Amino acid sequence: MTLNINHLTTHYLRDISFTLENENLVILGSNGAGKTTLAQAIVHLLENESITIEDKKVSDLCAKERAKYLNFVPSKLEIFDEYIDVHEFLELSLLNGTPYEEIENVLRRLEIDHLKNKSCSAISSGESQLVLCASALLHNATLTLFDEPTANLDSDKKIKIFELLKNDDRFKIVITHDLNLAFKLGFRVIFLQHGAIVYDGRCEHFFEEENLNRLFGHSIRRVEDFFMVNYQ
Amino acid sequence: MKLFMLLLALIILAISPFIGETPLNVRKILDPDAMEYLLFWDLRLPRVIVAFASGAILALGGLVFQAVFRNALTTPFTLGISSGATLATAFAIVFLPTSLLALSPFFSFLGAFATVLLLFIFARTLTAMQTNALLLIGVALSFFYSAALMVLFYISDLQQSYSILRFTMGSLNIVGFNNVTPVMIAALGLLAVVLRYKQELRLILTSYENAFLKGVEIKKVNLILLFFVSLSVGVSVSIVGPIGFVGLVIPHVIKLLSKKSSDKLILPVFFYGGVFLVACDLIGRNLGTVSEVPIGVVTSFVGGPFFIYLILKGKQR
Repeated sequence: MTLNINHLTTHYLRDISFTLENENLVILGSNGAGKTTLAQAIVHLLENESITIEDKKVSDLCAKERAKYLNFVPSKLEIFDEYIDVHEFLELSLLNGTPYEEIENVLRRLEIDHLKNKSCSAISSGESQLVLCASALLHNATLTLFDEPTANLDSDKKIKIFELLKNDDRFKIVITHDLNLAFKLGFRVIFLQHGAIVYDGRCEHFFEEENLNRLFGHSIRRVEDFFMVNYQ
Repeated sequence: MKLFMLLLALIILAISPFIGETPLNVRKILDPDAMEYLLFWDLRLPRVIVAFASGAILALGGLVFQAVFRNALTTPFTLGISSGATLATAFAIVFLPTSLLALSPFFSFLGAFATVLLLFIFARTLTAMQTNALLLIGVALSFFYSAALMVLFYISDLQQSYSILRFTMGSLNIVGFNNVTPVMIAALGLLAVVLRYKQELRLILTSYENAFLKGVEIKKVNLILLFFVSLSVGVSVSIVGPIGFVGLVIPHVIKLLSKKSSDKLILPVFFYGGVFLVACDLIGRNLGTVSEVPIGVVTSFVGGPFFIYLILKGKQR
């Protein structure tokens, strides 16, 4: 898998360039740094000419081809028609040759079988995060982008999603501002600030004290392998 | 409940051509020399078929528009299509010599179709997700047309004003099978197109973002659906006039009763939309007034209160 972003500039992002070659990525940054905008640009929800995947320009791909290569998992499940239930929603996610039986497997794997006949608008936000992850597994795109997959979740659900992100061997980009999640995932890190890349490199280097101080001032404190907000 | 509704609908459809101002001797409708033959085959039956097809078009059009525009108040008329047809018909009534007035359905189709084309020219400059902008353009067009219609009212004489007004109320006064074929083709064609794009429609019903990510060419699908709805509505309006309320009420009623997502309601909405208009026509023809009550008046009188009742009932739970 090769993703190439070549001088991407939008109303918010400033000259973003990087290449992803058979590896996963975490995009970090504070609120409003442009993380979600970047993800939307990569999957072409935000139209632009700067992205290529597998040496093909995303803006030239037809919708079906684009869906084969790229998927984006939003941070919230928003469903217009209140009568669409979880199972039906997941049926619509069967792409790229995923067999129908796989729905049951994925539901069991994420332990959400009990939700399958519930309306998508009647489940809690935490449950809907898991449904979105199930949808991503069924979609089976070459590269999947997750937008804040663990925000607003109970710790047990956080762990479940962490394991999924860590162990599933498909390529992914994870957007988060949870430093602990980024540290534990160990993927390459890109840090955004005011729409520009201010750090791009290995995870271990990102979490060295010197670098953290440069990016966060003294607002983050490392205690062993955990990162805390330094309220003082 | 479901079975009861279906049974009631089938009974309405079956008895509708036999009930009317003049009682019909059923045994004589197959005798080509009898009055009944003419009454049944040239007046009653075509009327019922056109009513059914028009109701089906309007209801299914409403279902599709509400899904595409994400707005529960949208009907096939919201985009100005019926106003376009009305304006063109009024134009024909005022400016055409009386001998050519038979052409007025053609004019109203032209008005509807010109509006559709105009909307598509505007739509080309909008991006896939800007359905709201198109909706607003439709509303603006309607206002523009209304203003032009006022001008026509102002310069027309009393007889012409009455004809225009009568057209806006809708009428199922049709004779013979000449008008049946186009509406039937329009209705079945629309049904076929909507069923063909069922899967895409289903994805659009989740969210536009999700449909986009799952590989739906949103703009293309939306334009195709809008085009065929507008076209079939144009055909219907040109023959029976702008009959309001069916497109708004039937999709909501069916949805409230069946509690299923819209993509599963394509056939029920099509069918019950047709039955609703047949039933309203049956009422309008048999109220015993001097002339029959305009169909648009009946649909609103029957549909309005029932709709409000359903919404209030639905909100209680």
